[in-house]
Amino acid sequence: MNASETSNTAFCFDLDGTLTTTEILPCIAAELDVSGEVATLTRLTMDGLIPFEDSMRLRTLILGQVPLVQVHEIIASVPMAPSLLDFVQSHPNNCFVVTGNLDIWIAPLIAQLGCDVFSSHAVLTDAGMVRLDNILAKDEAIQTLRATGRFDRIVAVGDGANDAPMLRAADIGIAYGGVHLPATSAMQAANMIINDAETLCKLLKAL
Amino acid sequence: MQAVEGAVIACAGLGSRLGMGMPKCMIELEEKTVLSRLIESLRPLVPRIHVVVGYREELIVAHCAQYHRDVVIVRNPDFRTTNTAHSIHLGSIGMNSKVLYLDGDLIIDPASLRSFVSRGTERPLLIGVTRSKSSQAVFVTVPDGNVMNPTMIDAFQRDTATPWEWANVFIGSPQLLKAGTRYVYECIEPFLPCAVQMIDLHEVDTPEDLEQAKAWLLSHSSSTTA
Repeated sequence: MNASETSNTAFCFDLDGTLTTTEILPCIAAELDVSGEVATLTRLTMDGLIPFEDSMRLRTLILGQVPLVQVHEIIASVPMAPSLLDFVQSHPNNCFVVTGNLDIWIAPLIAQLGCDVFSSHAVLTDAGMVRLDNILAKDEAIQTLRATGRFDRIVAVGDGANDAPMLRAADIGIAYGGVHLPATSAMQAANMIINDAETLCKLLKAL
Repeated sequence: MQAVEGAVIACAGLGSRLGMGMPKCMIELEEKTVLSRLIESLRPLVPRIHVVVGYREELIVAHCAQYHRDVVIVRNPDFRTTNTAHSIHLGSIGMNSKVLYLDGDLIIDPASLRSFVSRGTERPLLIGVTRSKSSQAVFVTVPDGNVMNPTMIDAFQRDTATPWEWANVFIGSPQLLKAGTRYVYECIEPFLPCAVQMIDLHEVDTPEDLEQAKAWLLSHSSSTTA
């Protein structure tokens, strides 16, 4: 039995570009033939050049046009890093997804992961529109988790500018560059930088 | 026997005595950085490698992202006010039993390092010594009089020169470095006398060291290819 199975450690993972090996929203945007534009918007947001909240509202407005059933089909096929998927599925009570993505969109991925999630909240209106009710502040997710008293230690892993507050609020913050180089602000907020999924898993198991 | 679970390379320091405006581990010798030489020598010997960064960390982060994606980079943002003991204490995160610690400004003969790691599995603490040559040496004294081939040391000293100096390399428990405010050799000093093994290496601390290291590397590569 390794260290992470015996200790009361919570592992919080960003979703897009951390657990998934590609950014999710540009995949949905392909349905509207605007994947390049949304990828650019996502990149600028990742780098902290546009506030995450503004960007998420804009992306929701654009991508909300894609029917939910179609969004679920697309998201269910988004690839995840096999070793990280295995780590989360092996420690479902200690792992959490912490994402600014919308709960109604990512439901299929969360079901596959089998752990709890902190996410932005949206509802589908009677007119079939996506209404964004709340955008997650990732540091608040860490504080909520800490307030439960279930865990002695919180480890957070993420790659974008919107992950920086989460990495800072955690006991151990890891800027992850498995898909692309982490945002500078994420690296500056982190205790560690890891660029490879296997290496990350080895470390998480040893903590 | 206890396997060495990982290596911690301390690369956070200013390197001010060398005055090249970059971390010493990023200096290139024969078109390869000191850090790449270390990582390549370590990779077959230990399952995990942690690199502790501080001064000009962006250079090392970019270098590892390109060439050494399987290392864990540990940040020491307080590198200006802390020393190497603190860096390797931070770098020990996730290391639980026996670790190889080394400075990032060392050029080490790979066979010598392999032999050191192999012997380190048999001892709770193994200290590396090398022939005295660096300009800021911490010398060691040998208790049994076997100065030609020391197997034990009983003291570190700065003022009186001896034939052997502290190599800035040791294998031991991560617990040794809990108090991270002193020099590394001061952290292991309470455990003397202790087993040592010679390591063939050069430190790159000053411009003179660098010239020596270049000459050594050149002679070493020509002797191994001959």
